[in-house]
Amino acid sequence: MQLEQGVKAEISRLRLSATGYKIWRGRAVRLAFFALLLGLWQVVSSLELWSDVIFPPPKEVADALVLGIRDATLTTAIKDSMQRLCIGYGTSLIIGIPLGLLLGRKQLLDDTIGSLAVGFQALPSICWLPLAVLWFGLSETAMQFVIIMGSLMSLILAVRDGVKNIPTLYLRAAPILGATGWRFYRYILFPASLPAIMTGAKLGWSFAWRSLMAAELLYVTSGIGSTLMMGRELHDMALVVAAMIIIIFIGLLTDRLVFRVAEGFVHRRWGVGGGN
Amino acid sequence: MTKVDLRNVSRVYLSQSGPVYGLSGFNLTIKDGEFICVVGPSGCGKSTLLNIVAGFEPPDMGEVLINNKKICGPSTQRFVMFQDHGLFPWLNVTQNITFGLRMTGVSQKECEERAATLLKTVNLTRFATSWIHELSGGMKQRVALARALAMDPEILLMDEPFAALDAQTRDMLHEEVELVWQQTKKTIMFVTHNVREAVRLGTRVILMSAKGGTILKEYPVNLPRNRFLEDVEVVHIASQIRDDLRQEVLKAGEAEADIAT
Ligand SMILES: Nc1ncnc2c1ncn2[C@@H]1O[C@H](COP(=O)(O)OP(=O)(O)OP(=O)(O)O)[C@@H](O)[C@H]1O
Ligand SMILES: [Mg+2]
Repeated sequence: MQLEQGVKAEISRLRLSATGYKIWRGRAVRLAFFALLLGLWQVVSSLELWSDVIFPPPKEVADALVLGIRDATLTTAIKDSMQRLCIGYGTSLIIGIPLGLLLGRKQLLDDTIGSLAVGFQALPSICWLPLAVLWFGLSETAMQFVIIMGSLMSLILAVRDGVKNIPTLYLRAAPILGATGWRFYRYILFPASLPAIMTGAKLGWSFAWRSLMAAELLYVTSGIGSTLMMGRELHDMALVVAAMIIIIFIGLLTDRLVFRVAEGFVHRRWGVGGGN
Repeated sequence: MTKVDLRNVSRVYLSQSGPVYGLSGFNLTIKDGEFICVVGPSGCGKSTLLNIVAGFEPPDMGEVLINNKKICGPSTQRFVMFQDHGLFPWLNVTQNITFGLRMTGVSQKECEERAATLLKTVNLTRFATSWIHELSGGMKQRVALARALAMDPEILLMDEPFAALDAQTRDMLHEEVELVWQQTKKTIMFVTHNVREAVRLGTRVILMSAKGGTILKEYPVNLPRNRFLEDVEVVHIASQIRDDLRQEVLKAGEAEADIAT
């Protein structure tokens, strides 16, 4: 018995260290690769093929970042952008998930609102900006409208498709277990389509993020997109690149912190492979 | 007292090769507390029959009466145990078992107590908080049985629930189902393609025809309880049914060949 436990502990220790080794090796390789890119950038810019205005060296970009953070222009810009994004994307989630669930069940709604969503999805949401400004003025509401139009459609359609792919077995189990009416939506349809909702939420987020950046670039307000545009107008390419780096960084961070965690949650329950 | 009454029930499916009868002019009365086993060749309409009694599909003709009332749709009083367990992957074992209780408003504390008892019944106490994908096929089916028992329905409908299980697990679940039936006197309708299993469990075995979805023959099983699959009497009755079943399959095969030539 004790021997057996010893063997088990040994095996699990070996396995852990093996996966741990893989993870750390992956990290080291990535880090080395990006260090290499940075070095290359430095080398190319020190060759002085182009002027610093066109091709800013790493040092200037770093300075722009530090300065922007120190005088709070960059941090305010990030805060403004994130606030818009959270309100707009949050609204999309609150409307999109229930609507998607309904669309997956009610053919009439799918034929009407569903086809409307398919149509609107073909329209890049930034095309809404002129109308949004006309309707809401140069305001936060206009920005959020653009974000919502960008993310809501893909979210609705992804959730709807998820609902339509729920195995018949779950749908049949629902009424005999007493899950009818709103309980059916809350306790069967919603959790059963969770993998699809995750996919939709991720897709919706990337659309929301792109829409917001486009809107901020086009319409001078505040926010990280406008900072980028301001850099262009001041011929401050270091600031432009700094803003680009921040945009990438926020995108990656959300993917890691929010979606990885949520996907892990789904994987633990559904088993590896997810889906149904 | 009559529990289930099927009157002239028909169900037609439209397939590419023309209409297929899932059931045609099907008549069956089941008394309260009966344990009916349904056997028949593959594709004869056993699942169709169960789905119609469950209320998942409406009959195209005829009517289904439960307690002398016409049914409309599924109900918690007619619980179905599926061949592919149908457990929810987003809930763990205990949550799956108590799902129906929670839906009907049973308190958290009572749910936990019921789950503990049922887990003991199906020998899965150790796996109370496991996710469904972490269980073996036999364990999943045991959870499905526990979930069905938790609902405590008037009628239990079972569609080949033990077809994919190993012999030991199946024997254990046979005993469990038999015990529950003896204690609660539920009405049970059990579909299987295993003739011996049907005789082992049922008070009556129904043989369905290969084509057309009708009853070919009925066999009462008046053997004392706590039967075993290997009992001489069980084997004896089963071999009779098997002979009839084989003839039916052969006949259907010839008919098929006739059409082909
Ligand atoms: N949804 C459907 N669409 C078309 N035909 C169907 C459908 N469901 C069943 N059928 C047909 O109805 C007949 C009866 O099917 P059913 O599933 O009831 O058979 P079964 O006796 O349960 O077979 P098995 O023992 O293989 O499970 C079959 O010929 C089948 O092809
Ligand atoms: Mg079947």
